[in-house]
Amino acid sequence: MKITNEQLKEMYLTMLKIRKFETSAMDLFADGKIPGFVHLYIGEEAVATGACANLREDDYITSTHRGHGHIIAKGGELNYMMAELFGKEDGYCNGKGGSMHIADATKGILGANGIVGAGHNIAVGSGLAIQTKKTDQVCICFFGDASTNQGTFHEALNLASVWKLPVVFVCENNGYGISVSQERHQAITDISVRGASYNMPGITIDGNDLFAVYEAVGEAVARARKGQGPTLIECKTYRWRGHFEGDPTVYRPEGELEAWLKKDPIPRVEKYFIENELMTEEEIKEMNDNVDKMVEEAIEFAENSPIPSLESALKDVYSDIVEEGRVR
Amino acid sequence: MASIGIIANPASGKDIRRLVSHATVIDNNEKINIVERIVLGAQALGVEKVYIMPDSYNMGYRVEDKLNSCKELRCEINVIDMLYFDSTEDTVKAAEYMENKDEIKCIVTLGGDGTNRAVAKSVKETPIITISTGTNNVYPEMLEGTIVGMAAAAVASDKFDKDKFLLKDKRIEIYRDGKFLDIALIDAVISRDVFIGSKAIWNMDTVEKVFVTRSHPASIGFSSIVGCKKIIYPEDNFGAYVDINLSDKKTIAPIAAGVVEAVSVSQPLILDLDNEYEYVTKGRGTIALDGEREIEYAKDQKFIFRIRRTGPYHVDVIKALEVAQMKGFFIGG
Repeated sequence: MKITNEQLKEMYLTMLKIRKFETSAMDLFADGKIPGFVHLYIGEEAVATGACANLREDDYITSTHRGHGHIIAKGGELNYMMAELFGKEDGYCNGKGGSMHIADATKGILGANGIVGAGHNIAVGSGLAIQTKKTDQVCICFFGDASTNQGTFHEALNLASVWKLPVVFVCENNGYGISVSQERHQAITDISVRGASYNMPGITIDGNDLFAVYEAVGEAVARARKGQGPTLIECKTYRWRGHFEGDPTVYRPEGELEAWLKKDPIPRVEKYFIENELMTEEEIKEMNDNVDKMVEEAIEFAENSPIPSLESALKDVYSDIVEEGRVR
Repeated sequence: MASIGIIANPASGKDIRRLVSHATVIDNNEKINIVERIVLGAQALGVEKVYIMPDSYNMGYRVEDKLNSCKELRCEINVIDMLYFDSTEDTVKAAEYMENKDEIKCIVTLGGDGTNRAVAKSVKETPIITISTGTNNVYPEMLEGTIVGMAAAAVASDKFDKDKFLLKDKRIEIYRDGKFLDIALIDAVISRDVFIGSKAIWNMDTVEKVFVTRSHPASIGFSSIVGCKKIIYPEDNFGAYVDINLSDKKTIAPIAAGVVEAVSVSQPLILDLDNEYEYVTKGRGTIALDGEREIEYAKDQKFIFRIRRTGPYHVDVIKALEVAQMKGFFIGG
């Protein structure tokens, strides 16, 4: 699969944005500036980045409770995201959704989701809409390993395959469902084999290898655009942080995190840049500094954004249709 | 005491070939079934101990548990006590352990060409039997586990003239700027793909050269491109190389499962054993070994490709069982 140097640099920039946004969110949560829960994506950056690099602006994604990375990779604005995490009026959901409900329909981001496994069928719905409208758009459905035990996963794969919908199911197998390791919640190691049950290709790749993700999802997206149906791609990866911020991660075996830290996807790309003389160390540092500034600006934007007014508490709770119904 | 080793690659049968070709999925539970049958076949003919490579799915322990629960396990199963990282290195290390363990007289592998390439990095003397768990393989064969277990028992018994069923295989040795770098058992492919990514190689447009130790139209993958023009057997003391995308003449070859393409390929040139071919890179690219991109290269690097008969001793399962039958190995009861 061809890849230009500019595309590669753009993907590296996205990975940095995710890493630095998440690292800042970690610190801000510890400082008590972010209410509610945050589930961080640190360590999994190559999956969202490599996958979404194959999408157009009019393509769709569905996300999860660990969704910041997906949203950034699909073009989400750091300022509005950070304001939403802060619960401020300028956030994506006017501060009323928080980390787990960020959405931007104008960019095809059909929402993060606080319910495990709830994105699968939204993705199938968007796939059906695409097929009905006869466009060549695609929807990528991101989800975790434990959600593949939910009925929604099986229903979604079944219908997507029966109807040959343009959906790419990208499983982020980070080894844990909350605190339960995969070996304790599944009798298989490779979730990709579940694709065979629904007559769709299922493959397993290294989710910490940007190139592998980009290439595999690229093939699946091309297949979907041609009307050849859905694909299941399992990306083996690891979340560096706990399930949520504050999780003491006592369930992790000793040495496991350290082993995965050595597979950090970001230095792997930097090494490629240096070895192939595509970027110098100075240029890499400059890009890092620029992203630091973007995240600082996002934090400043969030801090300066007003708290939602009391009057807005019931705004957007009921749709107009429901309101009209009540009147009748 | 007759002992055998089993290396079942938990990662085989699930790579991108399921997406870009029509390859079959083999899950780990099916590999467990095959290993069970190997153990049962082997213990029936005198194998007392089976060493198994550890992995994160605990295939060895699951086999032991299943055979114990149906009260059919009579031999000892020993899952090797070693650190593993769910990487190719696990196979290299397990194979090294088995090679150095005197009592292990035969190693059975489950995987593809890549698995056996990893095994061949460590195994020089211990005979191997190779079971294919995929659809894109040349080196391992589609064999029934029970029969393989019986053949492994025959080999491990040390009762027969092994020259009648063993062949020391060829391999391609690759050197970069004078230093030994890696090996391939079947083919090495120079490609202009600039990253390793999902490893498998399938796009003919980027391929420049193919080196093979053997070639046959009945094979699948890059060696078949040569094989559809010239057959080279494992016993032949030479290999060959071809240029891709330079000739006007095309050859139809099965480059992957269900993918039969017309490929521009030059006339194969023979590369005798121990002779070298020097290649200086013209730009960035990768070298695929036995179907998987493994080496990234930059411009102006000098590579040497040399074919030598330094691969593993490969068991011809049918011949081994024939020799065993003629010597009365199966008389019992």
